[in-house]
Amino acid sequence: MNDRNAMDDVHAVDDATDATDDAGRDDGVGTGLLEEELRQAAAVLDPLPPALLQVAVDAYALHDLDARVAELTFDSLVDALPVRGATDVPRMLTFSAGEVTLDVEVSAQGLMGQVLPPRPVRIEVLGGPRASVALTADDMGRFSAGTAPAGPFALRLRTGDEVVTTEWLRA
Amino acid sequence: MRTGVVPSAAYHDVPYTRGGTVEHREVGVLVRSAVDGDAAAWKAIVEGLGPLVWSVVRAHRLSDADAHEVYQTVWFRFAQHLGRIREPEKAGSWLASTARHECLKVHRNARRLMLTDDPNLLDRVSEDGTPEQSLLDAEEAAARSESVRRLWQEFEELGERCRQLLRVLIASPPPSYQEVSAALDIAVGSIGPLRQRCLRRLRARLEARGAT
Repeated sequence: MNDRNAMDDVHAVDDATDATDDAGRDDGVGTGLLEEELRQAAAVLDPLPPALLQVAVDAYALHDLDARVAELTFDSLVDALPVRGATDVPRMLTFSAGEVTLDVEVSAQGLMGQVLPPRPVRIEVLGGPRASVALTADDMGRFSAGTAPAGPFALRLRTGDEVVTTEWLRA
Repeated sequence: MRTGVVPSAAYHDVPYTRGGTVEHREVGVLVRSAVDGDAAAWKAIVEGLGPLVWSVVRAHRLSDADAHEVYQTVWFRFAQHLGRIREPEKAGSWLASTARHECLKVHRNARRLMLTDDPNLLDRVSEDGTPEQSLLDAEEAAARSESVRRLWQEFEELGERCRQLLRVLIASPPPSYQEVSAALDIAVGSIGPLRQRCLRRLRARLEARGAT
């Protein structure tokens, strides 16, 4: 940890300006160098896994300008009080896009939900750029799947010529 | 939910330098190109800002499985919102802030599960696949590896606030203070002083340990 010799650090300049806090006598070069060493250590000991980099590159396929995004307007994880002692509390989610509302419940038993106003629609449960499961909502707009999504998911609804996709979430 | 950890690989030549860097002023241009169908622009965004998202996730001490899923969720959502992001030049802040919110949701959910059955909440960073093997080839490399490991250990044992701030700051390429602010919900003006303080604290720990 040679913290006083190297002057060629990228942060030396801004350190000179923000080293006036506290005692005001710290050498900014030392902390800048230390930060750079820590950055190198992170690159070795806790790097972004290459597979994740690739997943994000592939996610470009999810870019769809034609679909309307149904935004998350209620999430029981955030908006509801926890049920103490209850096991396997379903996660309740509501998504909205204009007049279309989608209520979804995710639990260990799977996924169920309802499209409002009720209408028969085709629904895909997306699990990433490639994976999807097809469902159909009945006349009441209800639908269900026997398995809960593992990891990130979104629902894509096709009704008439319109496509609505829910915001990506982690189940 | 705890399965499917993607194996890491090839640590010995991990670039920490500016390779593939997205200059912050270029982000807006890249986002607009990606909206128009330029896959190379998208890839450049991912390469430039992926490490920042990873740092935010790691700063929040998620388990490996949670970290991987949150990371993916953030990028899926970014792809989904690509054409609707109001300030494309602030895409880094958008990503950092989305990552933070998803991390906080994981913590909420974990607290809930803690009432029942999950003792593995605070899964520490996995020791799986630590890259030391590749560094142990030569004695010099071994010494270097040891000093890197010591540095990392002292960093991990810093107070939570400092550890979190530094973990985001040391993303590579280094994030802007705007992005750090979005990642941790702290004022831009306080980042510089806090950073100084935390790095001094880390150095003091290293010195106390005789590691300098």
